[in-house]
Parts: sequence; structure tokens; C-alpha cells
Amino acid sequence: MNARRPHPLLLLPALLAVLGVLLPLVYLVLRALDAESSELREIVFRPRNLELLANTLLLTLGVLAGTTLIALPLAYLAARTDLRPRRLLMLLGVLPLAIPGYVGAYALIAASGAGGTIDALTGIRWPGPSGYWGALGVLTLFTFPYLFLNLHAALRSQDPALEDAARLLGRTPWQTFREVTLPYLRPAWLSGALLIALHVLGDFSVVSLMRFPTFSAAIYQQYTAAYDRVYSAWLALALLLVTGAALLLEARLMRGVRLSRVSPGGTRRPTVLPLGRAAPLAWAGLAALAGAALIVPLGTIVYWLRLETNPFAWNSLLEAFQSALGAAAVAAVTTTALAFPLAYIGSRHSGPLARLTERAAYLGYATPPLAFALALVFFTLNVVPPLYQTFPLLIIAYTLHFLAEAVGPVRTSLLKATPRLEEAGRLLGLSAPQTLRRVTIPLVRPGLLVSAAFVFLSVLKELPLTLLLSPIGFETLSRNVWAYTEEAQYASAAPYALALALSGALLTLLILRREDRRAPRSAPTRPAPPAAAPAPPKEGPA
Amino acid sequence: MKRTLLAVTTLLLAGTSLAQTKTLTVYSGRAKTFVDPVVQQFERQTGIKVNVRYGTDAQLVAAIREEGSKSPADVFWGNSMGALGELAEEGRFTKLGTALTRNVSSDYLPDNRAWVPTTVRFRTLAYNTGKIKPEQLPESILDLPKMTSLKGRIGWTVSYPSFQDFLGAMISKYGEATTRQWLEGMKALQPKDYKTSNVGMLEAMRAGEIDVALTNHYYIQRVNRLSYPIDTYFFKNGDIGNLGNATGAAILKTTKNSASAARFLSALVAKDAQTFFLSVNFEYPVIGNILQPTTMLPYSDVVKRSPRIDPTVLPKNIDKAQKLLRDAGLL
Repeated sequence: MNARRPHPLLLLPALLAVLGVLLPLVYLVLRALDAESSELREIVFRPRNLELLANTLLLTLGVLAGTTLIALPLAYLAARTDLRPRRLLMLLGVLPLAIPGYVGAYALIAASGAGGTIDALTGIRWPGPSGYWGALGVLTLFTFPYLFLNLHAALRSQDPALEDAARLLGRTPWQTFREVTLPYLRPAWLSGALLIALHVLGDFSVVSLMRFPTFSAAIYQQYTAAYDRVYSAWLALALLLVTGAALLLEARLMRGVRLSRVSPGGTRRPTVLPLGRAAPLAWAGLAALAGAALIVPLGTIVYWLRLETNPFAWNSLLEAFQSALGAAAVAAVTTTALAFPLAYIGSRHSGPLARLTERAAYLGYATPPLAFALALVFFTLNVVPPLYQTFPLLIIAYTLHFLAEAVGPVRTSLLKATPRLEEAGRLLGLSAPQTLRRVTIPLVRPGLLVSAAFVFLSVLKELPLTLLLSPIGFETLSRNVWAYTEEAQYASAAPYALALALSGALLTLLILRREDRRAPRSAPTRPAPPAAAPAPPKEGPA
Repeated sequence: MKRTLLAVTTLLLAGTSLAQTKTLTVYSGRAKTFVDPVVQQFERQTGIKVNVRYGTDAQLVAAIREEGSKSPADVFWGNSMGALGELAEEGRFTKLGTALTRNVSSDYLPDNRAWVPTTVRFRTLAYNTGKIKPEQLPESILDLPKMTSLKGRIGWTVSYPSFQDFLGAMISKYGEATTRQWLEGMKALQPKDYKTSNVGMLEAMRAGEIDVALTNHYYIQRVNRLSYPIDTYFFKNGDIGNLGNATGAAILKTTKNSASAARFLSALVAKDAQTFFLSVNFEYPVIGNILQPTTMLPYSDVVKRSPRIDPTVLPKNIDKAQKLLRDAGLL
């Protein structure tokens, strides 16, 4: 590692990433203060704010509990038991990520109730999901993969010597699990939990469909139903505070965690636990999960698809598909390009400046998208009106928001590519830019591709930024699913939902295969940065 | 390489010059289903390209306010008199010429001619015919909170413009205190809020989630086509629960295309578009001589059921209505 200060030019992208998020937020504050003091007092001390706060926190905690209950057993089954085929378990753990929350919510609502898919096919009337439990259920089912990926990676990489030692010292298997394995999983759980918390805090679509008022749902409601934006701005600020608190809490809990091996030698592969007679039980659980998270949603979409009779629907689908793919492709390129220098500094330099630089990427990711979109609306109208409601602004918003997702994989490949090769390039007479082009970039190309694929998938699914910032007439898959679902036109929403789910699944599979191929034969000696998710800021390995 | 660049530049230039020919930007609170066919026909007939920004009325009112003099909007096509009146009060619309409004019924045309009505609809109560008999329902919407038997079985759409207009009209007629009391009484019956989605609300009624719902007349007409067990209940004549409400369109003062904008407005009140609105959405036309389906009450009959509300007072009361809703913890 190089402790020298990074080249100032390399710092520029970090500066852009920070300013790009902070400047609009300043306008959010200005807009929030833009009211008479009596009105402000009334807004800030509204009892409803407390109710929203309580709901938001309860939902976040509930989803964290729910996702842990699904992700931990599933990760354990996949990583440590003889349940086969393992690939199937991995798929089950990852594929729900391809279904955006609002598509999942749409599908489960359209599946239940009188006249829903389940009623139509079996005559059983299943009460539709709604309220707290509905929101909790849907968010759990479609966000647990974030936690699964982290826990699975950690379980695969844990040195079995630790557990063996505990057993030799007389601990029962259960005690070993509680006293050795669980504490070992803490950092992986924390990073996954943070991602899920950010997701729940920022989600307005699922909670709106389930009619459960949280801060994000309230912002959206104010946005659609009130003539005045002051209260929306305040709610957005409140949500920013809650998100900030969650980040601080995670950083605090992470502090002082050191899990790297200190003894010499390699690690063995983790011990495989034979399930024996418990296997059918495990399969039953897996089947239930697959049913709720994949089969019922996809089945429902296909069922409603048959009922779509509008002949123009297919034309609009093609158009929406093209714009969605276009926006996702452009954003994937810009985001990866901006992520590269950040990851480069993070992996090739050390010291506080380098760490800060890399963390700059997480600012945009942690800012709740609805709040960020509102801030950008206020900002562009006041400062750069020509950008207002344009395609470039939408791309800028995507780039700043998803930067963190792109930094992770690029950094991982940079860490694997030894700087010695770059040094050799320089010694052999290449200039710095030549080294970058002929040595560094070819070395990290796989990482760049994975980054681009992540961003592509995320932009495809993205709703709040797309909804608030798209130029006039710009329709995407996500926008149309949302517009039709909000109006309960399930058949009309079906083609868009299916296109989204299928392209999402395809991308997820591609990423999974790439990651598979890149995974080293022996387990890494320390928890690898979580594969599919951006690693949130954490104490870097010394 | 150079040649490709040249080709791209030429294409881009051609694109911008085409874009400059004639385009009109419409902010529409009306749904795409009703707007698209009319826009397409207008584009074919006039060669003017129309860009439509869709949103709820409130969202577009807020956007027009935020955008101020930089607003790209030429036309505002609103879903409610409240939103139209609000922007009109702020002096954001141009006064329309008499040629445009000559054939339009004067019932809902504002005196200042800041906007022209495009269709008329009425508030009603939808009920599940399998669960409720019309005799059980109150004569006035003011008595709806007394129906404790309906606790948890009522649907409404608090964020929907027509609902907020109705609430604003209630304030105009009975004052803030009575309206607040009515809201509190309703809240005690734990109504289910379907935000802006009347379609979603009636789907929920079909699914058995609720038995009665406050909605606009045409939503019931639309689901009746699908033979849902849902029917229309009008309160007694002149009751605020039967409020008539117009959708309408206006030209923004900030427009640079006032001629195209005026042509677009004329197209909206022409026979073709008016027939289309009636046939696809069962909304009452604003010009005469258009045949109505027999399932709908004749306009002359239904208009008597609605109370008369001064449209110029309405906008001020929409703000009050939104405040009451917030105070009650509903918005």
C-alpha cells in the first residue's frame, strides 16, 4: 500500500460525488425553511411526525428480524450442510433480488382476495397482505438476499479450526454455534443489515401499496396530494436524520471488530454437517420460501398477463423496455467510470484521506432516494434550470445514488491485482496513463463488468428517482408497473412486471456465474467483501 | 470515425430543428388512458407535437409553482376545479377567448374565463349490492358518520383531488367547524384510505374489503361494465355528497405557444373529444347534442342533485381542507 497522497486529479471524482449529493441537500433545507414561522412550528411539532417515526423504526426492526430468520438458516444450509444441489439453494437465496419490492407487492396483492389469482385457480380466498405485516412480509421476502449473500460468504470462509477448538473444549454443537459461529457472523450481519435498513427506510412503494404510513410513504403522499412542498421537504429531512442515525449505529457496532486470522497456514474448507432425517424438514422450508418469493409472484404475473387484452400494450412495452435499457446502460457506464478512481484510491493508498475518499461513494447511496430526488428538483430549478427534467439529470442522479454498488467489486479486483505489475509496467517505460490502460484496466476488467452489471440491474428496478426526475414522456418498465399497480390495473401492469423480473433474473444469474468463476478454490482467509452488495463503510483491514 | 461523428452531429441537429417546428407541453392531471387518444388525434390533425407530463393535480400544481417563470408547461389539464381555481387565483392562466368557450355550457364555466371545463362528474356513494340495501343509507352525507354499522367497511380516497374538492365545498357551505367534526366522525368509523386510487378502492369492494365508498359517478359506471356487484347511491337533492365537479384545461401565462395551446383547448371541447370522454369514461360532456348511455342519469337530472358552489371560493378552501386532513392525521 502506498501512503503517499493520491494524485489530486484522482480526488476530483470523490469531490464530485460528495458535492453532487450535498449541494442539492442544501436546497432541501432552504426549501424546508421557506415558510412562515407559525407554519413551521405547526409542521415540526405535528403529532403525526411521531407516529411516522415509530412506524418507520418498527418496520425497519421487523424487516431486520424477518430477513435474519430467513437468511441465516438458508445461508447455513447452503454453506455448511450436505443439502444438495447447493446451486439451487444459492439461486433461492439470490433470485428474489431480481424482483423489485413493488413488483412483489403488486403480485402478492393481485394473487389474493376475492377474484385474485389464488381465488380464481383454487377457490380459496386468501386475505390480501396489507398494513404493518403486509409491508413487513413483502420487504422481507425481497430484501433478504442482501443478508443471505453476506452471511453465506462469511460462513464459507470461517476457519473450522475455531469451531473444532470449541467442541474439543467440551461445548455442545448448539453452544458452539451460539458462542463461536454467531459472534463470527456479526460483521457480515451488520453490513447486510445496514443495506436492508437503508432499503426499508428509502422504500415508499411497498409501504404505500400496503397502506402503512412511514416517512417515505408520507413524503410520497405529500408529493402527490398536497399543493405545497414545504412539508415534503421537512419529512425528507426527518428521514435523512433517521438514516444518519442508522449509519452511525452500524459504524459504532462495527468498531473494534477484528476477524483476520493471525496464525500461519491456510484454512481448511468448512466442515459439512450431514442433515440426515432433518433434510425433508429443510426442503419443506425451502419450498415454502420458493413459493412465496418466486413461484407465487411470477405465477401471478403470468396469470394476469393472459388477461391483458389491450392491443397497444405491446408497443408501449417495447418503448418502455428500450428507454429502461438505455438509461440503465448509460448509468452503468458513468457509474463504473466514476467508481474506478474511488476504488483505486481506496485500494492503492492508505490513510484517512484515502478512506474518506472511498466512503464518499456511500453518501449518495445512504441518502433516501425520494429525499434526494426532491432535493435535486429544488436544486436544478434554482441553480441550473436547463438541467431540470432532462435525461442527463436523471443519469447524474442514478450515478450518485448507485456509486457505492460499483465501488465494491472494482475494489475487490484491484486488491487482487498486485501493484507489482503496475510498478513493472512503469519500470519498463510506460507512462502513468499507459500503465493504467495497458496494465491496470485489463487486470480489473472482470470487476468493472460486475460493477456495471450491478448498476444496470439496480437502475432497471429503480423507482423513486425515475418517478420524480424522468424527462417528460420518458417511460420505463418501473414507472409503468408502478402507475398501473397504483390504479389496481393488474393486467396492464403484468407485461412490464414480467419484463422487469425476467431481465433482473437474467442479470442476477450472469453476475452469480461470474462470481462463481472468480471465486478462488480455497476459502479466503478473511471475510471477502460481500459479493452482490456494496460493502458499507467498515473498518478497513489493517 | 470522423464520418460517424459528422453523421451523428447532422442527425442531432436535424433532431433539434424538428423539435423546434412545433411542440406543445401539457401538464395533465388526467390519466393517460383518457389523454393519449385525444393527443394522438390532435397531433395527426395539426402536425403539432404534444409532450405530456402526467401526475396528480397536486403534484402538477406544486411543480408549476416551483417552476414559476421557468415552467415548460403550455397547458394545464386538471382533474379538479380546486386545482384549476388555485392556479387561476394566483394569476397563472391567460383569459380565454369567447370563440373557445362559445359552445360550452355555462354551468361550470368560471366567470373570469381563466379555464374551460372539459367534462363534468358527480360525487356519489358506491355500495356493494350484495351487502347493503339503498334504504339503509343516510339521506345526507353529513349523517354518514352516524352509520356505526359501517365501521371499518367504508372506503375513501383522501389524496384524490375530487375528494379534496368535495371537502373544500363542504367548508364553503357549512364552515370549517362542521367539516372538522364530520372528518373526526368519519375517522371514528375507521375508513380505509385508498390514496388516489378509486379503481383500487372499487376492486377492494369487489374483493369484500369494504361495503361503501365515496367516489365519482363514472368509476361505478366503469366497473358495472364488468358486472361487478356495485351500484350508485345519490344522496338527497342538493346534498354536498352529490357535488358536481368539472375537469378543465387552461393556458399558462408563461407559454410561448399560445396559438397552439388555444387549438389544443378547442380540440378538447370539440365533438370528437367530448364523445370520446363520454364513451370511454362516462363523464358528462360540456357541449350539447351528444347521446348518453341509458345507464347514466340524464345531465339535466343529475345536475339538479348537486349543490351550487361558487368556484372562485373553492380554491381557498382546498388549502383549508388539506390542513384539516393533516390535523386529523389523515394526510
